[in-house]
Amino acid sequence: MFSLSVLASFFLFIPEMISAEEKVTIGTVEDVILLPWRVKLPARIDTGAAKSSLDARGLRVHEDRVEFKLPQKYGGTHLFLPIIDWRHVRTPEGLERRPIVELEICLGSRRFHTLVNLTDRSMVKYPLILGRNFLKENFVVDVKRRRTAKPDCSDTLDEENSEEHPRPIH
Amino acid sequence: MKMVSRQNPFQERPVGLSLDLMFLLMLTIFLFPLGKASAQDKLVVGEVEEIVLKPWDVRLPARIDTGAATSSLDARGLTVKNNTAEFRLSKKYGSLLLRLPVIGWQKVRSADFKERRPVVEITFCLGPKLIHTQVTLNDRSTVSYPLIIGRNVLRDNFVVDCVNSNCLPPSCPEVPSQ
Repeated sequence: MFSLSVLASFFLFIPEMISAEEKVTIGTVEDVILLPWRVKLPARIDTGAAKSSLDARGLRVHEDRVEFKLPQKYGGTHLFLPIIDWRHVRTPEGLERRPIVELEICLGSRRFHTLVNLTDRSMVKYPLILGRNFLKENFVVDVKRRRTAKPDCSDTLDEENSEEHPRPIH
Repeated sequence: MKMVSRQNPFQERPVGLSLDLMFLLMLTIFLFPLGKASAQDKLVVGEVEEIVLKPWDVRLPARIDTGAATSSLDARGLTVKNNTAEFRLSKKYGSLLLRLPVIGWQKVRSADFKERRPVVEITFCLGPKLIHTQVTLNDRSTVSYPLIIGRNVLRDNFVVDCVNSNCLPPSCPEVPSQ
């Protein structure tokens, strides 16, 4: 009878645990890995930004594709990606048009497809800003923390060439 | 003697059951709040929250911004004389005229110019908490929220869950409900 009640209370706990752990708590800066290039970048977790953005140097648009480099500090990887959309951004200097591309990143042990707008952010400390479009469904932010999760998606890296595999895009 | 008492299952059982139930009840009562406390000793705020500026009782929507190191307030017609900042809240929020002592200056690196912004102390109510904090003042007429709550306020009190807005209405004891 005693063990029964222990069992019962254990089951009663489960809904509670799930609701608390649906969303992962992350800090104000998190390391992510850009896939498939496996470049590690620190990302600012920014609830003040509606959309995520990536520091793109030497940005050049070729019709429906965009060419740029990651900052030298992070290896200067040369990227050539399809433009998904354009975003108009109000800056102190006026209206700016920024290309939006889709990125795959690894944060903690999970992979995410997310849209980022590209902009030369050489003035800013972090090469990647993860904004509300990315955070919404998945994360709670506790700014007292930093680098809460080491990015490690090695478990899922084998299913690399699953292009047709539909995944949610935030 | 022990044997005899054990031989009396019909009398023992209800007692055992109720003890069991009590144990279960105690478990749920004591352990649930504990489990919650570890995850939620910080209050959950959304991407936008309404605050009440004290002592004027002005309600303002605030953007919760983990990307901002410090908080900042939209100050219109800002002038600083004798270490006192004078400014108004935007028309939308009643154009209240405020005069506050400047307690410091913050250097801001904007895209291509350097700026120095006065820092003042304000008190506001966010959820059940009365928060006394430093904010930088600048004319932010281009931005949609009059107050940005940055990491200096969030650090010790709140976690941010971006799916929701206004999940923690101001409820400080002395704030009139509306």
